[in-house]
Amino acid sequence: MTTTAEHRLEDTVLGSTAGRFYRHQNFGTGLAGGIGLGFLLWLLGEYTVNNNPNFGTDMVVALTMLGWVIGFNLGIGTFNAVLHWILGHDQTKEDELYAAGVGQGKSRYWKYCTDHKVVGTQYLILVFVLFFIGGTLAMMIRTQLLTPNSTFLSPQTYNAIVSIHGMTMIIATIIMVSGPFANFIMPIMIGAKDMAFPRLNAMSIWVVVSAVPPLMATFFVGGVNAGWTTYAPLSTQDGPAMVCFAFTIITFVASVTVAGINTLITVLTMRAPGMTFSRMPVFVWASVIGGALGLYAMPAFLLDMTMMVVDHTTGTSFFVAAQGGSGWLWENVFWIMGHPEVYVILIPPVGALMEVLSTFSRKPVFAYKMIIGAMIGIAGLSIMVWAHHMFTTGWAPDLAGPFMLTTELISIPTGIVFLCAIGTMWRGSNWVRLPMYFGFLFVWNFIIGGVTGIYLSDVPADDYFHGNMFVTAHFHYTLLGGAMIAGTAGLCYWFPKVTGRMLDEKTGRWAFWTIAIGFQITYLSQFYEGFKGMPRRVANYDPIFAPENLISSIGAYILMAGWIVLLYAIVSSWRSGPIAPANPWSAKSLEWQTLTPVPLENFLEDVTVVNDPYGYGQSAELQVHAVFGSTGAAHHGEGH
Amino acid sequence: MSSNHNHGIHHATYESIDEEVAPGLHKQLHRQYVRGTIYVWFLLTVGGVLAGIYLTPIFMPHMNSPEGRAAVETVRVFTVAAAPVAALVCAVAIYSLINSRHRSHLDTPPVDGPPLRGNALASGAWLVVSTLLVVFLLTWGLAEWSSQQVVHADALQVNVTGQQWLWTYSYPAQTVILPGGKTLSIPKAVDATTLNLPIDVPVQFNVTSEDVTHGFYPTQLGIQGDANPGVNDVLRTTPDRLGKFVVRCSQICGLYHAYMYTQAAVVPDSTFTAWIAQGSAGQVLTSAKTTRGAR
Repeated sequence: MTTTAEHRLEDTVLGSTAGRFYRHQNFGTGLAGGIGLGFLLWLLGEYTVNNNPNFGTDMVVALTMLGWVIGFNLGIGTFNAVLHWILGHDQTKEDELYAAGVGQGKSRYWKYCTDHKVVGTQYLILVFVLFFIGGTLAMMIRTQLLTPNSTFLSPQTYNAIVSIHGMTMIIATIIMVSGPFANFIMPIMIGAKDMAFPRLNAMSIWVVVSAVPPLMATFFVGGVNAGWTTYAPLSTQDGPAMVCFAFTIITFVASVTVAGINTLITVLTMRAPGMTFSRMPVFVWASVIGGALGLYAMPAFLLDMTMMVVDHTTGTSFFVAAQGGSGWLWENVFWIMGHPEVYVILIPPVGALMEVLSTFSRKPVFAYKMIIGAMIGIAGLSIMVWAHHMFTTGWAPDLAGPFMLTTELISIPTGIVFLCAIGTMWRGSNWVRLPMYFGFLFVWNFIIGGVTGIYLSDVPADDYFHGNMFVTAHFHYTLLGGAMIAGTAGLCYWFPKVTGRMLDEKTGRWAFWTIAIGFQITYLSQFYEGFKGMPRRVANYDPIFAPENLISSIGAYILMAGWIVLLYAIVSSWRSGPIAPANPWSAKSLEWQTLTPVPLENFLEDVTVVNDPYGYGQSAELQVHAVFGSTGAAHHGEGH
Repeated sequence: MSSNHNHGIHHATYESIDEEVAPGLHKQLHRQYVRGTIYVWFLLTVGGVLAGIYLTPIFMPHMNSPEGRAAVETVRVFTVAAAPVAALVCAVAIYSLINSRHRSHLDTPPVDGPPLRGNALASGAWLVVSTLLVVFLLTWGLAEWSSQQVVHADALQVNVTGQQWLWTYSYPAQTVILPGGKTLSIPKAVDATTLNLPIDVPVQFNVTSEDVTHGFYPTQLGIQGDANPGVNDVLRTTPDRLGKFVVRCSQICGLYHAYMYTQAAVVPDSTFTAWIAQGSAGQVLTSAKTTRGAR
């Protein structure tokens, strides 16, 4: 690296024309572009296709959504560079520095910005927003279910809320770690200056941002009736809301695909000298495996939703049984996406968790190669288990045995995750800071989520539990109690690096206990409802389930209160917490070895990795993860 | 640069502490650690096993068929099988929590722990045990499942139709020869809005839907199957215990999904025959006399 400490890249003074269009673009112009083009295409639709008796409304809505997504991204600058190249121009160095946010202060967070740290922060904010929306919808669901015959929500509103709660949370959990931390932290961890494709990186955030309004628009065009799984043929009955829903997914898939490719190529090609695969932090592996699995899973979602849109707008009948289609087709393609997808959610947080456990136990990650193998094994097996969601659908009953086998096999690599977690804790020094609290909570929640999963993998038991609240409780234990809690551990761990401030741990501990207790009350009650046979997704229920639903709702309020306290701690610390030192945890991986705030290209000197980042308790020589500057030259060439 | 920015890195290694303390102390500490963990593990395992055995039948409803009881038994057995493993994970976590020595000095990191990078014996044992458990789960599941695939030569046919948002049951005209040589005869097709089943008679449900997918979920029979439009989904069971239960819809099916349930009962042969006779006389059957007042 040629830049010296005296002249940092971000201090470059740019000419007044640097950045060209980018100078005039931000979130506001994005909104204007999206609304403008959306309105234009709506108008076009109104005057051309709206008179079609069967598909008119759906086509108009589809055109409007298309206009919104393309208009928003045009407006914010997603396609600037590409359009420039098509017109035969090239970006100058100054343009690129401008696009990376140089000289724009905090306003760069509202722009198309190619700096991976800005993108990571933008993702973090988006994740907060999505969780807030999803959590609010969850509170409305639990309020409706306080009493058996509640009239707080109409059945139609209730179904719409259940569907959008599900999809909002799925999107939020998919990006909650792979968005903020695989973008902000992961490139620094491997000693890279940025992601391999910074423009695609900036594209991925704004494309997913543009996917959110169509999801919320569903409420205003009739609501999605069919749950987040939108099983056909029920979803083919739904009105234009289903078209909005499908546009959200199609747009989201574009973002996840771009982000996944970016992560993969970054890790394959951008590692610092000496950062061999066996020295890579577990979180880097987890990001790669999660990203790669997303690349496998998401195209199926794209396909399913595209077929749904054309069913709605042109009268194809992929999923309409009366016209030769099949609901089973939808279900299969959906779960071919859906089961790998839960591991796309889970694997990156597990990687983050291993970093937390190692740092706060002051011990190396236990059985490093086994946990990498386990994550790859989980990813591999997860593409072969989808039909365990379909044991009771009547589809291919002879495959019950094989899918029971593959599903139960997953518990072997999942068990290894536990082995590595407790092996890392074993006899550790256990520095009980806030991230570690969430680490312990993950272990507790995920063991419950895991054990209840084996009941569901068993076909005779699933014949009782399928479609009832037991399933709801199970996947909230794994995805909220497991993945989201591990992601929260990661957030508390990396908070000082991302924000430059220390997190208020006293308030954080209050939040922790509220979340931990509220969570158990909410979902243990739902397990009990499931044991007793209460179906999922019901707006009202048999009074025999009343006491446990009341308790579950109270637990849910406590849980949400806990998250709000944590959000308060995060926001107040971000604004005015004590300034964080570069390495508050005395951790060894590379993100802690550079300055806070992190310089534009991450390191001021060249990085050479000499050991893995887990040398705790070992000799002074093995404790050194990387050397910097000219001293690195002596080590250059080894390993890479 | 690294030295400038690494605040407070502790280079005191685990080995270097070893030299400072009396020889053998570490071994002793280790033994203490193992013993403490084993106590916690043992307690948790006993708790888990007892909960599995005694709580499961309390939590789950009293089932009216072998399939239902198989679900209860599976939860019981799986809980008992999983308890030692889950308890071990929790025991290690709990014991490290009890054993954290640095509560009062949270600002600086504690001295590093022992650099255990893996242990072939522990990993090997873990793999072997988890593989054996999976083999057990699978064997158990396949055995139960195949025992449920028995097709009786003669079974009472019940056609179940889901539509938004009600279930209808139709009993086609048929004569069922029961295992004991007795016969059960339905002379004329009968439609009903509740489900009644004679005790100890094998029954075959032919489940379908008129519109969207519904989930036929006769809770206490331990069987479940989707009602798909244009598809006949066959489910079999032999209810063997008298009692009432509710058929619910387990697949979201639109606006009034929550209200799509019907009363059902397993009744004595004589009650069933009398109930069917009412239907043959032309009325759409609601509930059998004995089941009146059921909720």
